[in-house]
Amino acid sequence: MTPTPATFEPGHTVTGTPFSPTRESIRDFCEASLDFNPLHLDDEYMKGSFGKTSFGGIIMHGMNNFGVITKMLTDWVYEHRGVQRRLETRWKMPVKPGDTITPSAVITSHKDAANGRWFTLDVQVRNQRGEIVAVGEAMVEMPRAS
Amino acid sequence: MTAQSFETDFWKDNELRKTWEQIVPGEPRKTIPYTLTLEAIQKYCRVVNDMHPLYFDEAYAKASPYKGLIAPPAIHILLMFSCTPADDWMRSPGTVNAGQSWSYNIPARPGDTIRLEARALDKFIKKDRLFVVHDNVFFNQHNQVICSGRGWTIRPL
Repeated sequence: MTPTPATFEPGHTVTGTPFSPTRESIRDFCEASLDFNPLHLDDEYMKGSFGKTSFGGIIMHGMNNFGVITKMLTDWVYEHRGVQRRLETRWKMPVKPGDTITPSAVITSHKDAANGRWFTLDVQVRNQRGEIVAVGEAMVEMPRAS
Repeated sequence: MTAQSFETDFWKDNELRKTWEQIVPGEPRKTIPYTLTLEAIQKYCRVVNDMHPLYFDEAYAKASPYKGLIAPPAIHILLMFSCTPADDWMRSPGTVNAGQSWSYNIPARPGDTIRLEARALDKFIKKDRLFVVHDNVFFNQHNQVICSGRGWTIRPL
């Protein structure tokens, strides 16, 4: 049985839909986001080094990852008539074509306010090797139990 | 800005863009209003595989608390580029996204005319890398805040 918002407690885990970027999906993200940075388009350019970092090929947009995390949060909160209020992310590793990333979030606390119950969550995104590619924090607002 | 007029070659105007050295924290960025279309919302949703009926099913959305179709919170990803001109330094090739922090007030909707207030907020050097923090607020045509956020980017040398 799905818990009601009022019964979500710290430790409750939300898991998102896996996402597997391809060269085509990265190109499509360029078109949909209007972010045509050559980091995501140009293999020749990506053979170079970026300070201490060498990517070796095109990488997925960090904000594609942000969109995948957002889908996880909104799929969860919409079901309970809630609202995503905040998302903070830090990108730890690049995501490349052929990877599969899966977001998850764990409730760390909740606070009742006048009109809603606010939950904070720790967010992680792992690739198919179990490596953490992104971390973050989120905050959502759910209706208070009547 | 229209889809037809958007310059997709980010090298083309690169000489016009401010470098890390030239970016002045606190100085507003040039922005342009943008009319968000249902087509643009759904194009974004499809590429991140976010097919929630609030973004696609008008009857479902009308019966929801939102009373109509909305955009997902992360639509600011598109708005960041659609509300800024070609010489904006966010388009500098080699700009690496290090992190983001966004707060959401009300959803953007198809047909909204979106306005952006944006500036560089801070710049610093860390682990031999050049960082800029940018600060952004998106408003709708009623001057309501849609969302606000900061981003940390590593600037190209």
